Amino acid sequence: MLCEICGKNAATTHIRTVVNGEIYEKHICSSCAAKEGYGDIKSNNLSELLSSMLGESNFQFKKSEVTRCKCCGSSFSDIAESGKCGCAECYSVFYEQLLPYIKRVHGSTEHMGKTLEKNTCEQNKVQEKLNKLRAQLNQLINEEKYEQAAVVRDEIKKLKEGAL
Amino acid sequence: MSCWYNPVSAQSFVAISTRIRLARNINGIPFPSKMTAEQFEKVNSLVRKAIEESEDSIAKKLKYISMDAVPEIERFAMVERHIISKRFALNYQNRAIIISEDESICIMLGEEDHIRIQVLVSDLCLESAYQTANSIDKILCSKLDIAFDNRIGFLTECPTNLGTGLRASVMLHLPVTESKGEIRGLADSISKIGLTVRGMYGEGTKALASLYQVSNQVTLGISEENAIDNLKIIATQLIKKETESREQLDILKIEDRAMRSYGILKNARILTSAELLTRASDLLLGASLGVADCFAPPMQIIVEGQPYMLMKKYGEMSPDSRDIERANMVRNLL
Repeated sequence: MLCEICGKNAATTHIRTVVNGEIYEKHICSSCAAKEGYGDIKSNNLSELLSSMLGESNFQFKKSEVTRCKCCGSSFSDIAESGKCGCAECYSVFYEQLLPYIKRVHGSTEHMGKTLEKNTCEQNKVQEKLNKLRAQLNQLINEEKYEQAAVVRDEIKKLKEGAL
Repeated sequence: MSCWYNPVSAQSFVAISTRIRLARNINGIPFPSKMTAEQFEKVNSLVRKAIEESEDSIAKKLKYISMDAVPEIERFAMVERHIISKRFALNYQNRAIIISEDESICIMLGEEDHIRIQVLVSDLCLESAYQTANSIDKILCSKLDIAFDNRIGFLTECPTNLGTGLRASVMLHLPVTESKGEIRGLADSISKIGLTVRGMYGEGTKALASLYQVSNQVTLGISEENAIDNLKIIATQLIKKETESREQLDILKIEDRAMRSYGILKNARILTSAELLTRASDLLLGASLGVADCFAPPMQIIVEGQPYMLMKKYGEMSPDSRDIERANMVRNLL
């Protein structure tokens, strides 16, 4: 469908207005939507939501000295504003600050997927095994298979003790 | 050539396509939104070298293309073929792709992350598509300093992709589920288990052509296998539900609807994109019930009837001329 205003671009913004019970529908493109003052609708995405979440807590950090990432120069407020990190290093520089939001987005802060293949050192192998077992444990708990879950739990415990 | 919207053998009437995407970054280089031209060049050449030097049979099939060398119409035609993202087509400067001939594998360099591995195939084939993406990931991880943290996994520009960096999605044709008004309810329950459903064509309340994309939302705290399993279970259920609902339909009514749409597509002289989508959706439904199986693949008509795909074939033109050319193209295909 083409934009009802400019007739050039594809209509990606659909605006429905209800006035006294009468419904008016408009199908317009994003640039005409911006001109009509509906520009914000387009940017209603997850990262913006995240940035607003990050922004909320930003106040507590403003007073303290501004720490900047050595690799890309981002400060935590830069990240909070954009909802995005500047480089991989940002995650270690601002780890503690980011953690609550990572948890809110994913409901978890623990990686359970595959680990880097090239790191074949013993520690990573243990970590990978731990991740797999944890995932298995969650699955079993979800399926209410508590006896099997207990076995996996003990295995995790053993593995953790062995690693220390 | 066989591709996701025009498969040689597969008869995918509900599950149209499967897509796997892995997001990866290289340590020591800022993410693309903060990158300089030199840094883009560095990422491009590092990844290109890793792929070109690999002895893996998959790597041998891939070809490096600089996006600066791709004309605008072809860039957006790639978006319409779902090979690259719209954002990538808009911000193409200094970017590159590494792509297989059948376009089922495409590595975008400099999208939101340094590296986005995408595998796109027809039907519901989550495991094999993931295996392919994983093989490429293994090559890159063995040759590049990929950003990874033992606690939070693969590091990505947007924290929503942290962890596995995996986005798996399935495109489903759900006309009957949709007509029963069940999509919204499904979307609500699906969202509770970390998946999301959205319309493929057209945004807002109604999806054009009843094509929906179901994908995983959560990437941290879940393994690749489990994320794919969850999606597969849900997709299979949705397919089952749609298929069962189809069986309860009055076959004559479906045949009537499909043949009417066939009549319009076969005879129209002016065809808008939206009408093509609606009519092709009727053909797709008719074909699944065996009442309209003499046509070109409806998905092929949909994709090749998109504005930039048409302009790629017939040259740049106004929307009005496109509607005429679209009608010609569809008439010839059917």
